[in-house]
Amino acid sequence: MSNNLPSTKELQKSIEDIMKKKQYENFNEWITNFALNLPSIWNDRSAKELTPTTEQYGKHSAIVIGRGPSINKYEHLKLLAASDYNGTIVCCDGKLADALKAGVTPDRFPRYFVTTIDPYPTIKKHYEHEIIGSYGSKIKGIFTIITNPLVVERARQFGIQIHWLHSLFDYNEGMKSFNNLSALMIRAKNNTHRLPGIQTGGNVGTASWFISWQILKCTTIALIGINHGWEEDDPWETIIYHNNKEEISEGIDRNSPTFNKLFRKIYNPDFNCNCILDPLFQFYSEALKEFIVRSPEWVTTINATEGGSIFGDRVNSMKFKDFLKKYCS
Amino acid sequence: MKTNFRKDKDESSTHENETHSEQKDLTQEEFEEYIAKSGAKGSFMVYRSSKKDEELGLDEL
Repeated sequence: MSNNLPSTKELQKSIEDIMKKKQYENFNEWITNFALNLPSIWNDRSAKELTPTTEQYGKHSAIVIGRGPSINKYEHLKLLAASDYNGTIVCCDGKLADALKAGVTPDRFPRYFVTTIDPYPTIKKHYEHEIIGSYGSKIKGIFTIITNPLVVERARQFGIQIHWLHSLFDYNEGMKSFNNLSALMIRAKNNTHRLPGIQTGGNVGTASWFISWQILKCTTIALIGINHGWEEDDPWETIIYHNNKEEISEGIDRNSPTFNKLFRKIYNPDFNCNCILDPLFQFYSEALKEFIVRSPEWVTTINATEGGSIFGDRVNSMKFKDFLKKYCS
Repeated sequence: MKTNFRKDKDESSTHENETHSEQKDLTQEEFEEYIAKSGAKGSFMVYRSSKKDEELGLDEL
């Protein structure tokens, strides 16, 4: 049966359903990860401890660093390293080593966090570069409780202090949900040891945006390297394999009849550029844009990525150098 | 600059149409096939709840 999808909303729901089904194939792996992490979680800190007290609330900004293609194209890390920015850095795990190499270090930016949301062992590669060892003790890690233990071990070896949180995915299913049962197990030894539960939006970039305002209470969040799409001049191999060829993907036949439908080109009017969306990025993009619209009024989201698919309601787009000029004080 | 797509002369007026016309032709099966082939690892799911506020996260569990 072929069901045409008449609207973006229905399309997004369909993609979300498919993604949910696909993700649940790894459910046993998540539970295993959690079970192995539990003794550490009992003793480590909750990400909730990173939330400032009410007295400390104020206007704070954060920069979320992702690994989308425009971050290198516009040398955003170099710009940031050379700036006087004094806000918070929330770096996605996949860009941590590059950020440090570019001089975006906790010595320059003391409020420095790295985020890990994906529960797979391949994430370990993000923590393997030796430069992380030079700065790890000054970086606070914000990890999901279902992070693969090998990833946790590696990050810990480099001195990263881990703060845990729940990735919400089935809490709506009630008492017997994994989200609820895992919370009960975490509180078994200390009932006050409670972790925040976050909406991941399906990827570490969106999760980092959530962490920035929901946990760190930053009122302005700038995005760099959060394209949720490809640049027109990205290599085809990167696009087709969603930049994961060596590990996970069979890729898509460029001659297949569905190819052009799957890899859509959209126009970003804010930055006057085109962007290529594969279905995964469509899934990510629609979710993040929805949540930006639904975020509290006190949250301002600035897309300084200078490309990609994040634009529209409540997204303020500006070049990263202009953001730095405005928010460096 | 090398590009993967032909550039339209009047980009701002054509892309929106292109997006919508193609989107109508997409099917769940095509998406599912893509997800199966791409692996979709490195991704997670979006949390949905009948309590819409919960979808934005919980302070503590």
